[in-house]
Amino acid sequence: MQTLLDEARTLCRLRALCWTLTRRETAARYAGTALGAAWAYAQPLLTVAAYYLVFDVVFAMRLGEGAPTRAVGTYLIAGMLPWMAFADALARAMASLVDAGPILQKNALPPMLFPARAVLASAVVFAPLLALLLLAYAPLHGFAPALLAYPLLVLLQVLLCALWGAALAILAAALRDTMQVVAFALSLGVFLSPVLFPAHLFPAGWAWALWLNPMTAWVGAYQTILLQGAWPAPAAWVGMAVWLALGALLLNLLLRRSRDQLTDWL
Amino acid sequence: MLLPSSTIESAPAGATTLKVSGLGKEYRLFQSPQQRLWSLLGGRRNYRSHWALRGVSLELKRGQCLGLIGDNGAGKSSLLKLLAGTMQPSEGQIARSGRVTAILELGAGFHPDFTGRQNLYFGGSLIGITAAQMQGLEAGIIAFAELHEAIDRPVKTYSSGMVVRLAFALVTAMEPELLIIDEALAVGDQHFQKKCVERIEAFRNNGCTILFCSHSLYHVQRLCDQALWLHQGSPRALGPTMEVVAAYEAHVRAQQRGAADAEPEPALAATGATAAPVGPAPEHAHLESVDLAGLLPASGGDCPRLGTPDLRITLRARTAAGERPHLAVMLEQAGGGIGITTAGTHVDGFAVQQSADGTWCASITFTGLPLHTGQYSVSAYLFDASGLVVYDEWKDCARFQQVFALSTPGLVRLPHHWS
Repeated sequence: MQTLLDEARTLCRLRALCWTLTRRETAARYAGTALGAAWAYAQPLLTVAAYYLVFDVVFAMRLGEGAPTRAVGTYLIAGMLPWMAFADALARAMASLVDAGPILQKNALPPMLFPARAVLASAVVFAPLLALLLLAYAPLHGFAPALLAYPLLVLLQVLLCALWGAALAILAAALRDTMQVVAFALSLGVFLSPVLFPAHLFPAGWAWALWLNPMTAWVGAYQTILLQGAWPAPAAWVGMAVWLALGALLLNLLLRRSRDQLTDWL
Repeated sequence: MLLPSSTIESAPAGATTLKVSGLGKEYRLFQSPQQRLWSLLGGRRNYRSHWALRGVSLELKRGQCLGLIGDNGAGKSSLLKLLAGTMQPSEGQIARSGRVTAILELGAGFHPDFTGRQNLYFGGSLIGITAAQMQGLEAGIIAFAELHEAIDRPVKTYSSGMVVRLAFALVTAMEPELLIIDEALAVGDQHFQKKCVERIEAFRNNGCTILFCSHSLYHVQRLCDQALWLHQGSPRALGPTMEVVAAYEAHVRAQQRGAADAEPEPALAATGATAAPVGPAPEHAHLESVDLAGLLPASGGDCPRLGTPDLRITLRARTAAGERPHLAVMLEQAGGGIGITTAGTHVDGFAVQQSADGTWCASITFTGLPLHTGQYSVSAYLFDASGLVVYDEWKDCARFQQVFALSTPGLVRLPHHWS
């Protein structure tokens, strides 16, 4: 774990630069548009609004017995927004090293700065949206104390994206196909999670497969807090810990093995 | 004028700026990218190793200037990148003290949609200049880059010269302890090149340590007090510039001889009279003519014969208003590229004179040209007033044939006596 800790310490020392890079990434992405960074917020907001309008207002669809809530739109949004945040952060972080090749080859900077900046740039967009989500759902169960676990969940999700995003970025640098495979996995992954259907609707024999998706633990926990106002189940916390630990171990290994060659691969 | 570094004694003696020991860079060659992934995940050695650089150890003290020479692919760029920190070594240690500035490839990291000023702040943050420091440096950088109001236009509207000027002004805005330069003396137009050279000189005179990589042996000799010759990734020689450059030149000549033996001689293009290459725009400093006196007309396909015992070469050049240039010539054996002699007005301390029509003119006479029978080629060079910036060069611009009745094996007649 020494390599990973050293890397984290370096990033901590360079946090001012990391923040500059983050602001720049957001500005560069929307350079030349009239609304600028507002587009970053508009897209997820409009998607969520569309879910609400279509499922809860126009069609007023209802979930069956045993679901944490009856309204389909309300259920969907509680899992979908965190999933969108996860997919966005992971995809950006994964491409970050390859994209930063020209800068890294000409400036003496630690490569891990770029996955970190990608995750931060994504968090800057989605953290306020997730906070809005909390405000919108809190009245459903009278501001239950379990809402206190919500910021911790968001922080752990950012950590998950940083660890796995950085690991995937190194793998993508080694083999570009990684990006295609992961992009495909991200588009399908939403079906292998309780985002669209409550977990109890999955065939009992296949329920274990849900845990292959790191976000299953998070989505379950978000839904418990937002829809029921209850503390997340212990299984969710264990799932999160396992995926975080796996990410840290993998990243540590990749950092150690790629240390002197990473920039050459970009 | 550049001071030879032995005269710079303001620096605290013995302060080491750079210490490198056992430095090596290995490139792992995989048969396919998949193999790279398996090596990364499984930790297997399924690759061939190519050592671009191995076994480099050196120590540079404050104020020293090291020139890096060698053939293409000798590992010069790898060494510069390792020292600049843009590449990680596979073995060995690098200890740097103080600020390191590398002028490797300029303009990296500029975003075309942002203005010059925005890019300045962002580019500065990449090389460790904080926004607060940049506020103090900004005006100086813009003035040096001569961008004026263009600084608030998007960089995509800049000419390539403007981008390079801004980039150079930015990286050299703060004085470093160690400056790494890769062939960067060829930045922008003549006027800006001169400013760049002057800024680098100023750093050097303040005691900055410089690592300079160039194919121009002339510049290495002029700037550096130490030189490192890299050959196929390993140091071949490290020591005083003159000795190392001489050893390297001998190696280059041996290589050229090998190549000349292998290939048939290219057809002679130039003759004794000056065939002016396509001239640069008149407002730039440039050579106008190189004339050899006393040539007899050529017979057949040969080049003209020198009809007088003396060789007299007259050089004419134009410069920007008011700048007194320096002129130089080089004599070589035609075809083989074996250098015989060079002479420059800056080396000999001769002041080039301006004629009434504004051209600068100098003639050099080799009295009783002591060359044996053979064909010889003349190259001419135009330098700035400091002798550092090469404004124009006409390589192999004139050829002549020397006939010496009493020729014996060898190239020249040296003054001698028997006893």
